[in-house]
Amino acid sequence: ARNKKGTRNETRERKDQSHLRISRELFEYYVSRNKSIFSRRYRIKFEEMSILEYNGAAIIAMAGKNCVGIASDNRLGIQAQTVAMDFKKVFKITDRLYVGLAGLATDVQTLEQMLRFRNNLYELREERKMSPKVLSNLLSHLLYEKRFGPWFVEPVIAGLDDKGNPYLSTMDLIGAQCETKDFVVSGTCTGNMYGMCETLFRPNMDAEDLFETLAQALMSSTDRDALSGWGGVVHIITPEGVISRELKGRQD
Amino acid sequence: MARRYDSSTTTFSPEGRLHQVEYAIEAINNAGTCIGILASDGIVLATEKRSTSSLLAVPKTSDKTYPLSSHITCCVAGLTADANMLIDQARLRAGQYEYQYQHSIPVEQLVEHVCNYKHSYTQYGGLRPFGVSFLLAGWDPIHKYQLYQTDPSGNYSGWKATVIGSNNQAGKSLLKTEYGDESEGGTMPTINEALKLAIKVLNKTMDGTLASSEKVELLVLTRDEELDECVHKILSEVESQAIVQEVEKEAAAEAAATVVVS
Repeated sequence: ARNKKGTRNETRERKDQSHLRISRELFEYYVSRNKSIFSRRYRIKFEEMSILEYNGAAIIAMAGKNCVGIASDNRLGIQAQTVAMDFKKVFKITDRLYVGLAGLATDVQTLEQMLRFRNNLYELREERKMSPKVLSNLLSHLLYEKRFGPWFVEPVIAGLDDKGNPYLSTMDLIGAQCETKDFVVSGTCTGNMYGMCETLFRPNMDAEDLFETLAQALMSSTDRDALSGWGGVVHIITPEGVISRELKGRQD
Repeated sequence: MARRYDSSTTTFSPEGRLHQVEYAIEAINNAGTCIGILASDGIVLATEKRSTSSLLAVPKTSDKTYPLSSHITCCVAGLTADANMLIDQARLRAGQYEYQYQHSIPVEQLVEHVCNYKHSYTQYGGLRPFGVSFLLAGWDPIHKYQLYQTDPSGNYSGWKATVIGSNNQAGKSLLKTEYGDESEGGTMPTINEALKLAIKVLNKTMDGTLASSEKVELLVLTRDEELDECVHKILSEVESQAIVQEVEKEAAAEAAATVVVS
């Protein structure tokens, strides 16, 4: 083929390296080497994105007086595109123990299945329910097993121990645990969530207050985050049972 | 003659028998009886508890019946230590299947897995067979309620009603006459009828002593349609005693009736 000047493309390519015709994979590879790249041919800006921010999530868990609450958003996206508005990230392990998983969606699903498997085995073998601390240690172990090729999830565990006392913990993607007495957060807008929780949290809230606080903290945090939102769900765990409520907020 | 060919699992005898496997099956005939009966709305597993000492404090719910998954349970006749290994294997397999397919394992699949595991100890050298027979009871959406029996050879078969353990021959003959089923012109028993039948069979196999709630454990596997899950219920002492008393009353009534007729 001949271009405008009348010279052949092959000759042009040899002279002008920046117009090398390369495969898409090679292009992606070069992009990954640079944080951002402007391509004259494509005129698109590609940015290095953390794998933990690929799908988007926001999870908060808080402790109250003899109760805990755990809340998550509903969004599932593929980078900027929203794919689902009902993607659950908080899962029930037992009546008093819930786990929230933030991170890469496929790993969220797989780890939920793994935890259910391990929990079933535990209950069959030991003829008793798992306590929150035990689950937290199990999850930490499961994550560290993949230390050099990790699961891309940052979990949050909320439950009541057998005395009815609240238990909260979180960990990073390779299993470093952190137990707290007040609140734990995880997801793509942790900055926002920490700010909201620090401001709104009071110790020893009852179940109703806890719900309000959790809901407000989550909604306000996710409103300012592109990757999380589309409503939410809040579970309040008390010794009598669990109350789950759906939240409707900005649907964007 | 058999002595030359019976010390190794991997040797056939000239008659074409595997003596080690047969000896393993013999070991089970000394164990506490287990009865399984398929009912129209569930499965009944009845076991004879052979507690060797009153000082024993068993931490587990039962040492004869074990749940294998949410929809399958089993009872054991034979060497308890061997049984513990197999039960753990079965629980693992059920869990792995569910992890992989996100669907409960079909009952026969689990039975086959346990049996293949048992069989490998009859063919590859060095290890003795497991001296355990199981009665596996479960529900799946494909074949509904099912009852299977496994033995140390790795063989399994599906049953409507069967007995394993000591005096199983006597038990089976009683079941043959008493178990009503569509194919024979009768109807499948309800759970209550199956429970009473199980006690009757236990009375026969328990060597003179009568079944009572301390010596007997009754488990019923049913399905809660609303919650879409199976219920494994081990009858409490009070409930089992009630069944035992019903059977006693019926036996007494029958005896009285026969006297009147003659």
